[in-house]
Amino acid sequence: MSIIETKGVYKTYNTTKVPVNAVNGVDLKIEEGEFTAIVGPSGSGKTTLLNMLSGLDLPTRGDIFIENTNLKGLSSSQLIDFRLNNIGFVFQAYNLIPVLTVKENTEFIMFLQKVPKRERQKRVKELLGAVGIGDKMDYKPSQLSGGQQQRVAVARALASRPKYIIADEPTANLDSVSTSELLELMAQMNKKYNTTFIFATHDQRVMDKARRILTIEDGKILKDEQFDR
Amino acid sequence: MKTLIKIAWRNLWRNRRRTLLTVASVVLALVLALFMRSMQLGSYEQMIKAGVNQVGYLQIHSKGYWEEQSIDRAFFDKDSIDAALKSTSGISKTLPFLQTFSLASYGNLTKGVLVDGIKPDKEDSQTNLSGKIVKGDYLTKSEHSVIIGDKLAQYLKMDVGDSLVLIGQGFRGITAYGIYPISGIFHLPSLQMNSQLVYMNLKDAQAFVYPYQEGLLTGISVFLNDPDHLPQVKKSLLTKLGKHYEATSWKVMLSDILQAIEVDNVSGELMLFILYIVVAFSIFSTILMMTMERSKQYSVMISVGMQRWQLVLVSMIETVIISLLGVLIGLLIISPVLYYFHENPIPLAGSMADLYLQFNIKPVLPFSVKPHIFASQTTIIFILSLVSVLYPVVFISRFNILNASRH
Repeated sequence: MSIIETKGVYKTYNTTKVPVNAVNGVDLKIEEGEFTAIVGPSGSGKTTLLNMLSGLDLPTRGDIFIENTNLKGLSSSQLIDFRLNNIGFVFQAYNLIPVLTVKENTEFIMFLQKVPKRERQKRVKELLGAVGIGDKMDYKPSQLSGGQQQRVAVARALASRPKYIIADEPTANLDSVSTSELLELMAQMNKKYNTTFIFATHDQRVMDKARRILTIEDGKILKDEQFDR
Repeated sequence: MKTLIKIAWRNLWRNRRRTLLTVASVVLALVLALFMRSMQLGSYEQMIKAGVNQVGYLQIHSKGYWEEQSIDRAFFDKDSIDAALKSTSGISKTLPFLQTFSLASYGNLTKGVLVDGIKPDKEDSQTNLSGKIVKGDYLTKSEHSVIIGDKLAQYLKMDVGDSLVLIGQGFRGITAYGIYPISGIFHLPSLQMNSQLVYMNLKDAQAFVYPYQEGLLTGISVFLNDPDHLPQVKKSLLTKLGKHYEATSWKVMLSDILQAIEVDNVSGELMLFILYIVVAFSIFSTILMMTMERSKQYSVMISVGMQRWQLVLVSMIETVIISLLGVLIGLLIISPVLYYFHENPIPLAGSMADLYLQFNIKPVLPFSVKPHIFASQTTIIFILSLVSVLYPVVFISRFNILNASRH
């Protein structure tokens, strides 16, 4: 069964005299457990598509269904709740909450979900151990390297037990060692928890790990390739 | 909630210097506002106290006397009045008096004066009049004598032992006249009182104005244990005394002082208002910077599932913490200062001191420490600080998370 299904999705910007279709009629199905990369040149529409798949933005035309829920039918507040309970985020700039420790950052979304404290602590321990930051639980994000921060971001995204994780250029700010480690980590998490990962990326190393690559250009999906990895 | 408070608290100390500066501006505002207000209201209290000390919190008159202060509106002291005063709780002291205008003459010189018939002992215990005698003796009960101000003595070229001739209108159309030896000369701070006042024993004044019946009065000054009970005492007295009498409160008798206070108070409030505006802008600008600086953090938090109202709550908690800290530190700093100046008023000198003395007010600047001053200023500064939270509330409710995350 598809986790995500888009039907004739358009995103049109009217900021100039000529309307621009950043996403230009995308029909797409993403199944549970996929490890999918959306690739394409700058301005091709991958981030816009990703924003719509994550409910941060809504299509101008067309529909996006997440397990039969049409995102267009949700209010702003319902969308926030929907994201909270269904989607994990890994951002290019990590975007951890600077005033919270590693442990508190990982716990934060579970706190919003009202997960009981004991369960929160159990998951935090397990996930931070899994991403290799178990010994730095009380560190502040500023005390960690970029790669370590991104690992915490992955743990935070997984902690809420989301249906899928959206990662926008997650390796863009990382060196090659950290990139390899992070990709390996995400691949492991994908297998271990069967969590769906969707990336927007320029990074060939991410593409090399992806089992499905969607190539997008001028807001249209040009290629949809599957790989057995 | 605990986590939200934790985030708010840590957000504040992430930029320690800015937070401390904002707290300092709240502290400064409260300290200045309380200092100004306490000094201003303290001086008003002193002026009122000096006035009330002279006239009482309340005066019993014959109906209409205060509007038309004529000797024909005098009344005879009766047992019923005495009973009414004694049976009313909250009264600490009463001073009966008889006042009338008269001409005072000595040799070829004459001057209009106010003759004030008083009970010497009672008056002395209230105003320490005997302490103001600069020559001769204070009034005694038995002596058929008067004391006059030094300026009046100077004008009439009189001295202790000389006889003053008084002639004026008596009660019920008779002519009042008498010759009184001067037993003492007093000096009061007020020039007007020094040059116009003649004090004599109440019984002598009654005999001067109406020798045919004892007990004539123009008023009875009433002093209270607690000034806040004035309305109840006044109501009770009026009920007991009946329709032929009036009870005039100090607010009516000292209306000139109150008007002067009101005018002065407006300028004080204007200064405070300007101070409030400056402080409000200072706090607002900090909150604005804090909000703009964290717009990306806000967008991330909303992206991952935090409701906007929860972010608003965090922002409100931050402002409440800043305001509370500022108010508490401000109170801790200013309270001992105000209590010190309340106990040790600042002495005035020069023309300001002379001005105070003219109105028979001690030339010092006492500070008021009435709880309502603390309560009102603290509340105003606290609310002003809280109003600044409106900006982040509006910002968080409306901002576009995608735009904010790009910046």
